[in-house]
Order: sequence, then C-alpha cells, then structure tokens
Amino acid sequence: MKDLYQETLSSVAEVQRHFERHHYICDERIATCVFIAHNLQKPVLVEGPAGVGKTELAKTTAQLLDVPLVRLQCYEGLDEAKALYEWKYAKQLLYTQLLKDKLGELLEGTRGLRESMAKIHAHEDLFYSEDFLEPRPLYRALHEPRGCVLLIDEIDKSDQEFEAFLLEVLSDFQVSIPELGTIVARVKPLVFLTSNNSRELGDALKRRCLHLHIPYPDAALESRILSHRVPELSDRLRTEVVTFVQQLRELDLKKVPSISETIDWARTLLLLHAADLDAGLVKMTLNTLLKFETDIEAAGEHVRGFVEKARQRAGA
Amino acid sequence: MQQTLENFYKAVRAAGVAVAPANSIEASRAVALVGYRERGILKHALSMNLAKSHADQLLVEECFEQFFRFDAFRDGARDSAPQGGDDPTANAEASDKKTSTAEPRYEGELPLAKMLMAGDRTALAVAMQQAARDAGLTDIWFFTQKSLYTQQILQRMGLRELQDEIRALGEGSCPTRIATAGALRTAKDRLYEEVRDFVERQLGMFGKTAVQSLRERHLQKTRLSNIDLRDFRIMHELVRKMARRLSALYSRKRKRADRGQLDFARTLRRNVAHDGVLFETHWKTRFVDKPRVLVLCDVSGSVQAYARFLLLFLHSLNDVLKRIDSYVFTGSLASVNDIFDSYPVAEAIDKIMAEHGFGGSDYGGMLLDLERDCLRGIDHRTTVLILGDARNNNLDPRSHILQQVHQRAKRVIWLNPEPESFWNTGDSVMRNYRPYCHLAKTCNTLDHLERLLDDLLRAATAA
Repeated sequence: MKDLYQETLSSVAEVQRHFERHHYICDERIATCVFIAHNLQKPVLVEGPAGVGKTELAKTTAQLLDVPLVRLQCYEGLDEAKALYEWKYAKQLLYTQLLKDKLGELLEGTRGLRESMAKIHAHEDLFYSEDFLEPRPLYRALHEPRGCVLLIDEIDKSDQEFEAFLLEVLSDFQVSIPELGTIVARVKPLVFLTSNNSRELGDALKRRCLHLHIPYPDAALESRILSHRVPELSDRLRTEVVTFVQQLRELDLKKVPSISETIDWARTLLLLHAADLDAGLVKMTLNTLLKFETDIEAAGEHVRGFVEKARQRAGA
Repeated sequence: MQQTLENFYKAVRAAGVAVAPANSIEASRAVALVGYRERGILKHALSMNLAKSHADQLLVEECFEQFFRFDAFRDGARDSAPQGGDDPTANAEASDKKTSTAEPRYEGELPLAKMLMAGDRTALAVAMQQAARDAGLTDIWFFTQKSLYTQQILQRMGLRELQDEIRALGEGSCPTRIATAGALRTAKDRLYEEVRDFVERQLGMFGKTAVQSLRERHLQKTRLSNIDLRDFRIMHELVRKMARRLSALYSRKRKRADRGQLDFARTLRRNVAHDGVLFETHWKTRFVDKPRVLVLCDVSGSVQAYARFLLLFLHSLNDVLKRIDSYVFTGSLASVNDIFDSYPVAEAIDKIMAEHGFGGSDYGGMLLDLERDCLRGIDHRTTVLILGDARNNNLDPRSHILQQVHQRAKRVIWLNPEPESFWNTGDSVMRNYRPYCHLAKTCNTLDHLERLLDDLLRAATAA
C-alpha cells in the first residue's frame, strides 16, 4: 500500500499545479511551504486572519495526497483524554466482573496464595490493552496505516499544558501512554496547526514548525480563487466583486471580509441573478460580507463610491 | 555556500530574530531541498524556517533582500562614455579621438589593476566578498569600525600594490602610461567608495542589534519625561514586552473545583483499583482565577511630562490584560476603556490628553467618583493601581475613601513619578495616602517600572 510519502512532490510548481487541480489556488509561498513540509516531514504552523483558507489548506493537502484527514479542534480545557485516548471504563468494569466469575475456574487445582498469584501473573494483562482503549484523534492519526494529514485547528485556543503535551507528538511523532508504553506513528502524519493568534504560542512549539502566514489575497489571486470556486460567475461581475471587496479591506473595520466571505457574497449575488453591482443591491447584501453592525454602518457611506469604482474597473 | 548561509543567519540574528541552532539546521536542509535556482522560493524556504511570527517573517525577508544583493559594483567609466551622447556619429568621433590620443591600456600583471581596467564588475564583487570574509566583516559592531574594515578589505584586495603600480606608471614620461595611471587612480577612488558603501550596508545588517540594544539600554535609564517623541515607538515596544510578561503570569491560574459536575469517566478510572467503589471523586469544573486590575491615571498639568508615558503603559496593559478597567482623572474620573479599544496607541493618547488632560488635579474629587462608581466592584481579586504625584492643590484629600479601597482590594499600588524626597513637599499629600497603599514607589524610568513589575509579579504568583 502506498503511504503518504511515496506520493512524490518533486517541485514547488508541481505542488501549485496539484492544488489548482483541487480548486485551491495558492501563491508560491504556500506551495513552497507544503513542498518543504512534505519532503522534510515537518509540521506547519499556519497563521492568518479567519477565513483565508487555513483549514482548507489542510483539507486540500489530504485530498491531494489521497490520505484521510484527521481533525482535532482545540478549545479551552481540551485534555489528553479527549485528544489522545480514553479507557473504555464501562467495558473495563465488566471485565473485572467477568474476571471475578472466572477466577475460580482459573485457579482450580492451585494450592496456596503464592501458587495462585503465579498463575494469575502467567496470564497476559488484558485490563490495560488496546481492546479497552478508546482512540481519539491524535491516537488515530498515529495509527493510520498509510499516514494522514493531521489538522490541529486553532491551537491558540487550547491551554498551555496541552501545547506542552503536543511537543512530544510533533517532534518525534510518538506518545507515551503510561499503561501501555510509547506508541510510535506507523507513518508520520503531515501536521498542520492553525492559529488566529488569540494567545502567544510557546517558542518551543514554534521552533518545531515551519511558519506560514497567509494574508488576505491580492486582487489577482482573489479573482483566480473566485473563478475556481464560483465558476458560474461572469467575468464582469467577478471583477466588480473583487474590486469592491479589496476596497472594503482598506477601511478601518472590526472584522475585514476574508476570502470565504467574498465567495459567500459571490454566491449570494449569483442566487439573486445580479448581472451588475449597484449600490442598493450591495447595501442589501452587505451582511454576508460584514459581520458587525458597526462595520456595516461604517461601510455604508462608502458603498456608492466603491461600486462606482468597481464598475469602472470592470468596464475598462 | 554553507558559509554564506551561516552569514545570512548571523544577519538575521542581528536583525533581532532569534534563530536557534536547530532552526538554522532545518533551514539549511530546506535550502538543500529547494535549491538556489529560484530566488523567490529560496526566500520563502528560509523565512519559513527562521521566522516564528508574521513580524519575524517580514524581518527575515528584508534581511534576505539586503543580504543577497549582487549589484554591488556600479558600471565603471568605460560604460558611461557611450551613454553620454545619443548621436551614434558623435559617439564614433569620440572613440576615434580616444584612440588617436592615448588609450589608457594596462599591460602589467597586477590582478586588481587588471580587473579595474577591464571593468569586470563580477570579478570585483567576488574579490570584495572574499576580502570581506577574510577580514571577518560579519563581526562589525559599531559605526566607528567602518573605516577600519574598509581599509582592511581594501588592503586584502591589494590596494598597496595598486598604489605602488600607479606611482610606478606615473613616473615615466610616456603619455599612455601616465593616462593609464590616471585612469587607475579614478578607478581606485571609485573602488574605495564601493567598498565603503558595502561596509555600511553590512553594518546595517550585522550591527543592528548592537545599536538597538545600546539604544534600549539608554532609554531605560532616561527619565521618562525626557523621552523624545521619535523614541516613542521603541519605548512602546519595551513597555509591551513588560506588560506581556505581566499578563502571562497573571492570566492563567486555574484550580480544580471540589464540587459541580462529576467527571464520571475519570472517577471510575481512578476507582477501578477499589473494585469500582467510588472512593475518590473527580470533578469536571475548573476555576480560572481571573484577577481584575483597576488603573487610575493622573493626567493633570503637574504630571504632564509623565502622563504620556503613564498612558502608554496603560494602553499596553490594556492590550494584554483582558480584565482591566482604565480611568484617567484630573478633577473627576473618566473611563477610557473605549478610547483604548478603538484607537491605535498614539491617537488614543492624543485624544485622551486633549479631552481630559491638563488642569489641576483633585484627588479628593477623584476618590469621591471612585466611591460612587467603582467601589462596589472592588473585591479581594482586584488590584488597584494609581499613577500620579498626589499633588492635590491644597484640596481635601479624602483619604478615608482610599482606606475603604484598601480594605476591599487585594492590593493598592501607588506609582509616583516624583522622587521620594519630594513627596509631602508643597501640596503633595502623599503622607495621607501612603498608609493605605500596599506599595508606594517612585517610578519615573523604565528601569523602575520593570523592577516594580517584578515585585508585583512575584507577589502575584506567591499569593
């Protein structure tokens, strides 16, 4: 069976081409990062504002390499029991009950405490075995026979303790389970960590990763992304949408619209059978782009000018 | 090439990005993987491995652009001649003229002179890089070392021999030889300028840390009132560094509760040893201890010089601590949380100074407002931080209110920009307030502030 590293990515340009085939349009920087990460088997820490395609990058990489994607969503209070493994305690309790019943049978013919203990020890310890283990994402990622893409989403939301725990996983791709010993990955997963920078991450973690910052796309890139994601959109409207959103990003807003919002908006316009942007339509649909009431108000006064400019650009 | 990469890492370190040996090893591996052919990809590969944040990434990329510059030598005089005129005939005439008199041609053996006369820029650049490496240019530290390194590089490139050669050429009476000597002399001067520019650029790269840390050290010792507006940004960064340390220690203190929702899985697991009888209980709920900080900052005329600094500090704190309430006052208390939240630092400070600044301070009035608005919210988790000089313009200090605050709050800290010997002189009422402060200190340099924060943090973690 082919594992994830036998699929060779021979050059940065090839990575870019592969991505494009999967409708993920990226610049050279992102492609270089995936290329290095894949070849050197290093984790990638992806930073950037919400909605620029951090999670999508991991998903597309998994598709591209044809391996499963294992996703671990981080949040405050996430611990080993939810990320790595948990014992199936109910089953374990049943097992002890069972053991009690069978104990007489097992010890038949033995004499004295010493002898019976010896007999019990001779049996393998089933109590802490993989049969009673409930695998969680990290454990599953290490166990994938062909490797996988492991996406640890929003690592900045997790606690410092969990971050420290991740260090072992990320540097050696192994974890220690006290009752079982060390578990090593069958095939090292390709790890993506995403962060919105709501908390400063530790240096130790950053040091182990390639650092990738995905900014808002420029007009040309955004237009290409849009043409792949919403192919039904006419060229003219696409240029207008991109020009409008790019202008919106220059404003001082609480939450600037990112590429995912642009795509949503384009779909909305398509649904409304809009052939052209006009101020009324934009004002009506502005809530798909902007998520705060104050932002919508702030942007409202600029809409007319922006639309004008967008139409000019598209007309030219 | 490894040497070049190592020099590059050195430059990156000098620019203030912490590059651990492990990072540089990884970066070298990545470079080996992507190769040197494409400049853009090489840049991305290096910045990805060396940088740890977006800010770092920009620094590394700037370093890359500076470091891998290969336009070191400008076109020499020989190229400038054809550029002189657009008319081809005029050009031809000029060259005719040149050949008819004495075309300076060099026939000696000196490699440097040959390169200069041939205008071989690549060879010159390579020779200069080589000489720079031999001279250990990457160790350059201060701008005073500039001429030293320039001389060393020139010597290594063979300046002395060149000078001897020029002298020897100029001695005779042959016009060609004299012309050659002249051309060489101009070329030598140009070479000198090139090398000096090169050294300057290198100083910019490798000397940055030295200059910056000197500057930071100097800033820490300077009285805060003397700090120039232009240093404001650097200072902002310094304060941020401190504030971040403060918040890191403050923000996460959690303990497990002993009531609430039962963590059934954990409890069962722990009690398997007791045959499933639940002796030890474990609970899901955890408390996160979130201390509150209440900051009151004087912006009156008497502390005018310091107010900007205090506000800067306050703004930085506001950035890093989640639960902080900031107030400014002269006569009455005004909340500035909104202003801090919605404007960048310089603007916010200007706005606050314009709206609330100047005028005479009235600490009594401020305390009355505090009693009315905030006293109820102050509890055993609250730290109250007062920044001001306690110069009350001979008004009623109303220290009994501060006493109440003292009783309710976890800590009351007073930072006074005046030295302690000035306290209680004139209209300062520090003596009335001091008994009700857990800590009252002079604070008018960043050094003070830093030491104070250390004290504070130690107390916070011990508690």
